[in-house]
Amino acid sequence: MSSTTNAPVKHKSISYAGWGYFFIAPFVIVYVLCSLIPLLSTFYNSLFENYMDGLKQVGPNFIGLDNFVTLFTPRADGRLEILNYTGNTMIMWIMGAVPQIVFALLLAVIFTSERMKIKGQGFFKTVIYMPNLIMASAFAMLFFQIFSSVGPINQIIMSGGGSAYLFFDNEWSARSIIAFINFLMWFGNTTILLMAGIMGIDQSLFEAASIDGANSTQVFFKITIPLLMPIIIYVVITALIGGLQMFDVPQIITAGRGAPNNTTKTLVMALNSYIGTSKNYGMAGAVSFILFVVTGILSFIVFRSTEPKKEGKKK
Amino acid sequence: MKKRITSALLASAVILSVAGCGGNTTPASTTAAPAATDAAATEAAATEAAATEAAAADTEAAAPAAADEGDTFNIYAWNEEFKGFFEKYMPGYDASAQTLDGVKVVWTINPSDDGVYQDKLDQALQANASASAADKVDMFLAEADYILKYTDSDYTMDIANLGVNQVDTEYQYTVSAASDSNGKIKGVSFQCCPSALIYRRSIAKDVLGTDDPAEVQAQLDSWDKYEAVAKTAKDKGYYIQSSFADNYRVFSNNADSAWVTGGQLTIPAVVDQWTEQMKSFYDNGYILDTLPGVWDDGKTAEMFATGKTMCFFGPAWYFNFCMGNAQDPDKGCYGDWAICEGPMAHFWGGTWMLAATGTDNGSLVAKVMKAFTEDETVCENLIKNEGQFTNNKTVNEKFANDPDFGNAFLGNQNDTAVFCGMTDNIKFQNNTIYDQLCNEGYQDYIKQYISGAVDKDTALQNFYGYINEKYPAVQTP
Repeated sequence: MSSTTNAPVKHKSISYAGWGYFFIAPFVIVYVLCSLIPLLSTFYNSLFENYMDGLKQVGPNFIGLDNFVTLFTPRADGRLEILNYTGNTMIMWIMGAVPQIVFALLLAVIFTSERMKIKGQGFFKTVIYMPNLIMASAFAMLFFQIFSSVGPINQIIMSGGGSAYLFFDNEWSARSIIAFINFLMWFGNTTILLMAGIMGIDQSLFEAASIDGANSTQVFFKITIPLLMPIIIYVVITALIGGLQMFDVPQIITAGRGAPNNTTKTLVMALNSYIGTSKNYGMAGAVSFILFVVTGILSFIVFRSTEPKKEGKKK
Repeated sequence: MKKRITSALLASAVILSVAGCGGNTTPASTTAAPAATDAAATEAAATEAAATEAAAADTEAAAPAAADEGDTFNIYAWNEEFKGFFEKYMPGYDASAQTLDGVKVVWTINPSDDGVYQDKLDQALQANASASAADKVDMFLAEADYILKYTDSDYTMDIANLGVNQVDTEYQYTVSAASDSNGKIKGVSFQCCPSALIYRRSIAKDVLGTDDPAEVQAQLDSWDKYEAVAKTAKDKGYYIQSSFADNYRVFSNNADSAWVTGGQLTIPAVVDQWTEQMKSFYDNGYILDTLPGVWDDGKTAEMFATGKTMCFFGPAWYFNFCMGNAQDPDKGCYGDWAICEGPMAHFWGGTWMLAATGTDNGSLVAKVMKAFTEDETVCENLIKNEGQFTNNKTVNEKFANDPDFGNAFLGNQNDTAVFCGMTDNIKFQNNTIYDQLCNEGYQDYIKQYISGAVDKDTALQNFYGYINEKYPAVQTP
């Protein structure tokens, strides 16, 4: 009975939280179904011995963290392959991503510059975006042919009197080719994103700067970069996540072997190796979980190192 | 806006195509059985054959097959070789409709590299019991490297149940390779694959002073002699063989121990012997310094007339199916080849047809198996037109003893006669279900030791790591 008397009081503090939950519900449901549950089940799977031996199923037997122990046990010559794979992935990503972002930033500034007013922007934008439309596997096949021992590059070298250079048998030439393909595929995409970011900056700031006598270097470092930071962070994080999942290009170029000496084998290639023949869900789950942790840590570092230090200033 | 429209169109196209696939399979699965009997009843061409087949199967075994024949005959393979022979020579095959006795023949072909074919096949076989009639695997092909995995499982069936029995004309090793541990025969091979040393006549003349197969054999019948000839060849500007992996099978086939025994990986002694031989061949410049693999362009380019390589290794299917460059009308060197046994007897590959458990086309499977082993017309065509060495002794010997028979590619040498003399020495032994990836992986990883990129121990550790990833059940040193 007392509730009826209290009713008007409740109306005073009316809450729209219910609607908020309603509107974010689609995202939450999709997230839980498509991200959270798979993530947890991957971890759950990593606790089991579960694979095919030929055509015979082994397991699933609960073995705790044994799969992780196996992954972190160095092999007989002292090398820890999981670290090696993580290192390869990071190195090839950095080799591709740094030039990708620098180059894209440069192009974005040139294309959006009011002074240069480049004609045919639509054409150039299309052209630089074009590589992204080609399948990574097709790209990898193409480069494999170009740099193979009987490919055109080696034919040029040999017609000049040299002997064939085996690009895929040298650690750094193989890594460079893989990084270059990734760079070529993704710089167009990054350019478009950064251009959108630069065009979102208030034009009057640039005008004010030039009236104050700032040269273009100063404008770039004092106005463009700071105001573009949120977009750059977005670009770096998406590139990072994409880079850690690097798979198709090195897989195809090295036929899954990660040659030479496992220096181009990435984490996802290792995962694929486990899941392919023996359907080893346990080990594959463990590798995926490590990949998740690495991605999480690195994203966190990127966030921390690039966010404006407001609190620090206040103190 | 445009983008939205295109993406909407794309999305709907995807949904439609998925729905389309579903639409195709679901009705097929429900109506397959009656449709099949209808088809058999109505199609005039098929009735006779189907009736006799059905009768045969009924009397010979309790197999459920022939009575209700499925309307799709699914065959899994790893290349187009057998498909080509099947389409040309299989009695009752209608090439324009792609049907065999009125049943649609569907090929699923996946490459064998890195175990892809096995992976896809395994998935299909495991789903065979629940698959719709149109998707059921009826017959699949398997190679010596992994046939054991399938014969020793419940996914293949005793072909005696289909009415196929061993016949005397088959070579014994092809039968034992297709038998499970209880002696039940699960399939047949249409080839017998003794492997020969294939040499360029013109280069042999220059290096050895003769191109006569018997004399060449006398100079190459042991590894010591082979190594000595390699040096002579190098001095004259030739390569003894082009790829480091070319003679791998010659060694590995003669192994005293299996790759995996009791779950433990051990490298057979002969494989190690091969490794050291190739290391010295590479260091001495006896082979191509680009170290191409067996199937790489760098190696096959050596088969052109401009090539400097004297020897290749392979069975009949190799020089007929895989030496296209040598057969090239402009750049090739057709007729400049011959074969001899080489340093050691060995075999390579072979294509076995296995019957998948759960097949709904049992009588057709039996018919194909019989056609390619027992039907003398088919076997004769395989030899005459395709240069094959068949799994039918009678037919092979007929050609071997025919003084007018010769293979034009080999300068009219009677290759069938050479192969007939080699069949007795073939050993099918020490096989495991892990052989394909052990052989492939070992060659790929040890190559870096041969080239000097890494030391031997690192190369072996990389190989062990590969095996650990691919085969968790196998313990590595």
